[in-house]
Amino acid sequence: MTIEIGIRIEPAADAADLAAVAEARGLDLVVVGARRDVDHAPLDPWTTAAWLAGRTARIAVGVDEPARAPRGAAFGLRDEAPDPRDAERPIASVIGRAHDSLDVLAPSRLLGAGAPSTAGAGGGGRADAASPPPWRTAPAGATLDDLTALAADGVPVVVPADTPADVERIAALAEELRGLAPSRPSRSAAARARRAAGIDYDGVPESLMDAAVEPGDAAYRSVSSTYLRGGAPGLVLRPRTVDEVADALAFARRHPDLALGIRSGGHGISGRSTSRGGLVIDVGRMNTIEVLDRERRLVRIGPGATWKQVAAALHPFGWALGSGDYGGVGVGGLATAGGIGLLSRQHGLTIDHLRAVELVLADGRSVRASADEHPDLFWAVRGAGANFGIATAFEFEVDEVDDVGWAKLALVTPDLEGSLLDFGRIASTAARDTTAFLVTGRPQEGQSVIQLFAIVDDADPEVVVERLTPFTGVGVLAQQEAAVVPYRDVMAQAADVGPDGHRGFGEPVSRSAFLPVLTPEFAADAAALLETGLVHFFELRTMGGAIADVASDAMAFPHRSPAFQVTAMGADAAALTAGWDGLRHHFDGLYLSFETDRSPERLLDAFPEPVLGRLRALKRRYDPENRFRDNFNIDPTVAAASVGSHETRWEAAS
Amino acid sequence: MTDYGHDLRFGTFITPSAQGARRAVELAEASDRAGLDLVTFQDHPYQASFLDTSTLLAYVAARTERVHLSANVASLPLRPPAVLARAAASLDVLSGGRFELGIGAGAFWDGIAAMGGRRLTPGQGVDALREGIAIIRDLWDVDAPGRVSHHGRYYDVAGAKRGPRPAHDIGVRVGAYKPRMLALTGEVGDGWLPSLEYLDRGVASLDPSNTRIDDAALAAGRSPRDVRRLLNFMRVELSPVSRGLLSGPPEQWVDDLAALALDHGMSAFLVAGDDPVVAERLGAEIAPAVRELVARERGARESGAGESGASTTAA
Repeated sequence: MTIEIGIRIEPAADAADLAAVAEARGLDLVVVGARRDVDHAPLDPWTTAAWLAGRTARIAVGVDEPARAPRGAAFGLRDEAPDPRDAERPIASVIGRAHDSLDVLAPSRLLGAGAPSTAGAGGGGRADAASPPPWRTAPAGATLDDLTALAADGVPVVVPADTPADVERIAALAEELRGLAPSRPSRSAAARARRAAGIDYDGVPESLMDAAVEPGDAAYRSVSSTYLRGGAPGLVLRPRTVDEVADALAFARRHPDLALGIRSGGHGISGRSTSRGGLVIDVGRMNTIEVLDRERRLVRIGPGATWKQVAAALHPFGWALGSGDYGGVGVGGLATAGGIGLLSRQHGLTIDHLRAVELVLADGRSVRASADEHPDLFWAVRGAGANFGIATAFEFEVDEVDDVGWAKLALVTPDLEGSLLDFGRIASTAARDTTAFLVTGRPQEGQSVIQLFAIVDDADPEVVVERLTPFTGVGVLAQQEAAVVPYRDVMAQAADVGPDGHRGFGEPVSRSAFLPVLTPEFAADAAALLETGLVHFFELRTMGGAIADVASDAMAFPHRSPAFQVTAMGADAAALTAGWDGLRHHFDGLYLSFETDRSPERLLDAFPEPVLGRLRALKRRYDPENRFRDNFNIDPTVAAASVGSHETRWEAAS
Repeated sequence: MTDYGHDLRFGTFITPSAQGARRAVELAEASDRAGLDLVTFQDHPYQASFLDTSTLLAYVAARTERVHLSANVASLPLRPPAVLARAAASLDVLSGGRFELGIGAGAFWDGIAAMGGRRLTPGQGVDALREGIAIIRDLWDVDAPGRVSHHGRYYDVAGAKRGPRPAHDIGVRVGAYKPRMLALTGEVGDGWLPSLEYLDRGVASLDPSNTRIDDAALAAGRSPRDVRRLLNFMRVELSPVSRGLLSGPPEQWVDDLAALALDHGMSAFLVAGDDPVVAERLGAEIAPAVRELVARERGARESGAGESGASTTAA
């Protein structure tokens, strides 16, 4: 049982002195509460609490403010309309901000800030106005017996203290009391008060306990959000071994209704990998990179490595493994989805290099999938991996890649439609060694700025210049940067995740599609969409080349023939969908990594039949309870009839 | 124009960024160590990326020793006057008399409304501020008899307890630009706190604004000297080459600041930019040099005035 004892003090000039003594004497919390029966108004308890937090280093701080506005009734949740004429009543949303701010300044030390809201916005906690404070107040002069009785069920107890001598006495009682109790708590009452409903925190497997992060922990802010998405998960488990992944999954199985996000690097746009109140299994610490076989260029990579790390590790061998276009992305999410990158026209998708994958299945079994072992699973993981398990290691056959020509060009054009069309022609008919991506946004004052990112897989500057020259005519060249560099340097241009983790907020809105061919009609429609301003980021990734060498039924990624992959990001989901719908007739399928629309029909865009039927049958075998539903969920319980006859055939055949 | 003769104060105007919370606190601590007089934070509660300014002020006050602290300026529509008065007095007590109150009528009304505040016209905002300051002063006046009641057009207080008693006479500095706000500053403010970049004509706006404040102060039976003139600088730069006001080498800063004090009556200078090096050099080098230069000039002017007075008498 946990026993926490603290002091309750008046907001007075010597408050910090008492708190400092309490902290030095090992007490757990200090609560500021004001007596109301005085002639003059007492010091403001909240101001005093913030002051105390600044003067102390460890002790938890609570505020008893019963007569004031509902504590922390903010974070997007409107409480009753305040009377703006009431000069004595603070505005609830400002109080909410104050609570969140103290939590930023003195992480995890504010008591009663509440569990993370599943509905509210913002990274902080929200207290239920009706809920009692997470401590009990003993009478002044309480005895050991009083404290024993009050602390019996683990709720912290505070004793009023007016002088340092009072604090000393309370500290002595606390020591005595703890001597009777078997153990000290691993988390303070302040931390435990923030736990989300419906999670058995005390049942976290022993192996994961040390690294588990709860909302009340100091490390919480560094794991709550992802690259583009804000979140407030109820618990983040961070396994380091295959057994620990299995333990984490066993814990997840005991919480069947809880959102379950699987995270590698935390970039996933479509994969949630965070939530409000849910469980996240973060394999970021499984990030080893090793060479298995130099002759065969076979490497083994953990799902938590980033592509920047992979590129750096492979460089000394003269090797590279194409990924996307950004080195900060984690291996796990991308290597189970596709990997349309800047080396793809020459070397194919990332999944085309996969030779084996090890994953922990929904039932906790660890399996190895390759062409010879569980070949059906190996087929599924390459394109729909998120539905089938948690990858714990990948084995890739990588390419010999010498230095590459790397270019970033900025071009200005008054004729976006024409420029798109030019780019489409040049990029898709370029030599296979050349892969170019185009990025643009809303035209401003009749001008569009187009950015081109291109790799020429050739170390000869003359070849590089020859390949790039046609692209410089796509607009008026405003900026250019071109060099022959190691592929490592291209990937190194990504930021490392800072000590506070990713800082995404809100919910990204992104649409994705495959474009079989870039027609004049598409260029016109795309330019018109960009003109509306609904899209602030628009990208064309050139495909073709080696991507198209692979048969469309070779793996669960069947989109081998499109000329381009298109991404559009906006701010308003409904408006963007409306605009995007106008382009749909140009498209054939979508790349799930950049699609945030969760409508069921998108599933068929990602996995056109017969792929979906085959995946659904496999899903029934490998994850019948649909544990892995975070990303483009293939629900195994959907009736076969509703997805057509392919599935029946597959099941009969398998 | 007038030099009001106030002693000079120097300080920082720090962005209360939530993402850079550690930096904001460190910059305040650096300002304290550098010997600066004042640390201030802007107050925009509707700005999601900012910390709550009142909380930050209390936290920073706890981690500094001698520097004074103030909001720059508190948004009255989101900080109801009695709440603001009590928080200010509390922090003044806790910090040993180091708190000053910067206050404004409110701007960015969409943001204020979104936070649950009241949307007012600029004119209404001025009147509400006048009421608010009166309530704040009444609550601080714990020696006056009885409780505080105030039934105004914008605020209502029915028998509020006075207190807590501030540890020192807290200055009320008003963020003001337009004629009515300037007049209010002269009537009831202890200080005027504009940002240079928001003044219509920059430095050229200082004299006419001061005149409005002076006229209003005199009309209210006060002295223009009762109102300290403070000034924020949003864009400053220490650089080898001079590029404009407070953009150049330290020697130029000294001349710029001394001229603002001697020629335009400004006596407190708060620099933004969140640069610890600037805070350091402002405290260590620039402030002492400005003080010395201004003292010398004031001395010369006084003795000059004395001589001319003597000659007048002689004549």
